[in-house]
Amino acid sequence: MKGTQLGEFEEVVLLSIAMLYDDAYSVAILEALNKRLGRPVSLGVVHRTMQRLEEKKMVKSRFGEASAERGGRRKRLYIITMAGEHALREARRVRNELWDGISETAFGN
Amino acid sequence: MKSSNYLPPRWAERLIERIAAPHLREEILGDLFELFQQRCTRLGRMPAQWLYLLDIMLLIHPRLWRRIAEPGRLPHYSADFSKSNPIAMLSNYMKVAARNLKSNKAYTLINIAGLALGMSCAILIFMLVRYHLSFDNFHADSDRIYRIVTEQHRDNIDYQRSVPAPLGKVFRNDYTFGEKVARIATFEESLITLKNGKELRKFKDDLAFAESDFFEIFNFPLLQGNKATALEAPGTAIITEKIAEKYFAQENPIGKVFWFDNKIAFTVTGVLKNLPENSDRKTGIYVSYNNLKAFSPWLASDDSWGGIQDVMQCFVRLRPGVTVSQVEKVFPGYVKRYRPTNKNVHHYKLQQLADVHFDSRYDGPMERRNLWILSVIGLFLIATACANFVNLATAQAFKRSKEVGVRKVLGGGKGQLFWQFLSETLVISTAAIIIALVLACLILPIANSFFDTKMSVNLFSDRLLLSFILILGIIVTFFAGSYPGLVLARFQPIAALKGKMSQASIGGFNTRRILIVIQFAISQILIIGMVVIINQMRYANQANLGFDKEAIIMLPLGIDSTNVKLKTLKSEISAIAGVEKVSLCFSAPASSEAWNNSIWFDNQSEEVSFPTSIKAADADYITTFGLELAAGRNIFPTDSVREFLVNEAFTRKLNFKTPQEAIGKVIAANGGTMVAPIVGVVKDFHDRSFHEDINAIAITTFNPNYSVLAIKVNLANVKNTMSAIEKAWTAKYPDQIFESQFLDESIARFYETEERMLKLIQVFSFVAIFIGALGLYGLVSFMAAQKTKEIGIRKVLGGSIFEVLWIFGKEFSALILIAFAIAAPIAWWVMNGWLQDFKFQIKIDVWVFILTLASTFLIALITVFYRALKAVRMDPVKSLRSE
Repeated sequence: MKGTQLGEFEEVVLLSIAMLYDDAYSVAILEALNKRLGRPVSLGVVHRTMQRLEEKKMVKSRFGEASAERGGRRKRLYIITMAGEHALREARRVRNELWDGISETAFGN
Repeated sequence: MKSSNYLPPRWAERLIERIAAPHLREEILGDLFELFQQRCTRLGRMPAQWLYLLDIMLLIHPRLWRRIAEPGRLPHYSADFSKSNPIAMLSNYMKVAARNLKSNKAYTLINIAGLALGMSCAILIFMLVRYHLSFDNFHADSDRIYRIVTEQHRDNIDYQRSVPAPLGKVFRNDYTFGEKVARIATFEESLITLKNGKELRKFKDDLAFAESDFFEIFNFPLLQGNKATALEAPGTAIITEKIAEKYFAQENPIGKVFWFDNKIAFTVTGVLKNLPENSDRKTGIYVSYNNLKAFSPWLASDDSWGGIQDVMQCFVRLRPGVTVSQVEKVFPGYVKRYRPTNKNVHHYKLQQLADVHFDSRYDGPMERRNLWILSVIGLFLIATACANFVNLATAQAFKRSKEVGVRKVLGGGKGQLFWQFLSETLVISTAAIIIALVLACLILPIANSFFDTKMSVNLFSDRLLLSFILILGIIVTFFAGSYPGLVLARFQPIAALKGKMSQASIGGFNTRRILIVIQFAISQILIIGMVVIINQMRYANQANLGFDKEAIIMLPLGIDSTNVKLKTLKSEISAIAGVEKVSLCFSAPASSEAWNNSIWFDNQSEEVSFPTSIKAADADYITTFGLELAAGRNIFPTDSVREFLVNEAFTRKLNFKTPQEAIGKVIAANGGTMVAPIVGVVKDFHDRSFHEDINAIAITTFNPNYSVLAIKVNLANVKNTMSAIEKAWTAKYPDQIFESQFLDESIARFYETEERMLKLIQVFSFVAIFIGALGLYGLVSFMAAQKTKEIGIRKVLGGSIFEVLWIFGKEFSALILIAFAIAAPIAWWVMNGWLQDFKFQIKIDVWVFILTLASTFLIALITVFYRALKAVRMDPVKSLRSE
């Protein structure tokens, strides 16, 4: 089923949402990604990915508190759904299996 | 996290509000805001603003404006069905444009350079015009604020921005026209001292004696203190933040004391918010008007109707409904009542506040006319840059006929093709705008020091500038892009694909010629103007003025100079090694300061009809400045008015045949208080700039008027001499500031405006030549494309390279000659008018024109030669094959 496929970037975004758990919103995710991926990620890309994830029902969102450092605007906080968790575990499983199938000599070049 | 005080650019936020879908809006704005704040603290404001814009650009995507899917109407994976992407075709256009521009690098570079240069000039001119139009436009009811000014009617009308001091007072008391009337006497570069125990700090700053109503009329808000009462009591003062910081650093200035002229003490009772840059009022210190009588009893008195001092200005805010003519009608009554006997007639007028900055008769620094001229120049630069673009783009059109053919065959409509080429132009003009902006920002500091302005660029908050740039971009794109776009879109596909496009289908050759002629005519006018100004300036700076101006130091005397003090100072300085001559005097022979007087001659009952400039000076004046005697002898050293020296102009104005005849006649000046015989006549010297005729002059020993020491020094060891002079001076005036100036420097200042104009015209002629050369290059490319076959045939039939080159040479020589025929008379007429401002002027000789013509030929040759040679040397086999 199409809904369970994860793209590479979708996967890292989903993982960062899981990692940030209670404070997962776009700017925090952006920072986490910038730090870990070692390449600049734009706000637009993060937004679009999260919209896509929400449409795939992998995350849910709700509005948080308004704060002064956001000019009085609310954050949109994301949380992973069952489907999201499932997709992440599925992706990990597939990868683990593939890793397990690699023989020692494969990287010997 | 601490949030900084800066806010993201408002217009950018609005943009996002407008395009973002409602359910995303709040989140996106909040995110951007948060990122902006972080970056402000980390990187500073400017980078944060740029990154903000970058983020917005990267946010642009259909997802940004797509509404949330309604669950009933679409399946849950609705997002995978998107409408056709409107950006796809546009991005193809961009790609084609980029490839095209890349493959024609010279073409791209020339176009972008031309447009960028034109646009950066336009941006700067726009900023300058706006800056000047904004002067003093922030006062409440400014349409009711006026300055009272004076027209002095003698042989000709003299305009004064000031009025007799008592006028403001009587006008306020006698009539109810004025809601508020305020007099203000401004003294520039006044000596201000701060005394703190033994420590003495000295400053030179502008100070004004102001009536409290001044701050009621003008909107200069106070940060501390009460504007109604701050200047009421004698000895009170208001200073600006800037002055407060300069004098008292971080301390609270309220209650602090400073001394003016080492004479009057003032206590600070209020602090003004720094005055806006776009105000003609620059004074930083305002003190109570009540103290004026301690400084200048004459000016402060109620009957100083006899004369006008430039420092005294009077502002009034009329009551609503009062008209100018109503007020001006009552002024002549004052002249009758208070000046019944004076010969020169005062006419007091109301000058609107909006005109103060622009009326040069009343020392307004910028005339509206000049702003218009600048705007027209800006418009012209843009127009020619566009025209050149059109030239080059249509010359280029051939190369793309196949592309157009293919697009049309595949179903591309005329409209689509047109928009494609327009988007290509958009790429070029966008690049040009960005370069122009950068260029304008780089030039801005230079322009600021040049025009003596304080303009600043802030792209993020300056909505007017942004919209100007936007509109400029759109207009340039349309002007430059629509004609080539139309030409290309009109191509017949069959002809285009067969390579049978003829130049005739593009046409407009004569239009191009006319454009080139206009461009060259303007360049030539500018060059001629430049040469004439340079010549006149050289003449003014090098001509014999009738006195020595080299190696003379003008040293102002301190305040409170007693006669004895002056004498000892003079003899001390004369004794310094390296000092050749010293003279105590009122001013140098040529000076912008003059004391003009009406005199009675030879016991006649009437004043003479011309003003006489009285130069107080001691007996060493003549030898110090190297003046020559035409008749009689020098004056004897003395302290009071015993004898007069006059100049030849004086004797001429009184119709004496020879200077000798004036000797022995008696002059009465200064209202009859200075009466003495003429003992000598000096040869004429220039007492003003070359703009003015030589005035009648009387030199006499009148020591209350001495204000400078003129010191002739030996330039061999001037450094030591100067420091010795400074030491002697400072010993006499320990509480004052030593300042001196070389006479030739202050004379050079007479021509500041001209020097400035010269630089401006140099810049514009460079820009005009550059853009003209681009146009020429465009034309030669166009011709080369048009005449490919002709050249091929000529060569096949045995024409030599030179003969073929002459096809081009003929064309361009003719164009330049026509341009010159237009330019020469116009330039002659304009520059002749300009020279009329000078009473002493050069003749415009024929060499100026020859030089100009030769230089334009040279420029044209350099521009055209390479391109023409390339066209001529093309192998005829290639150019003729494609038939």
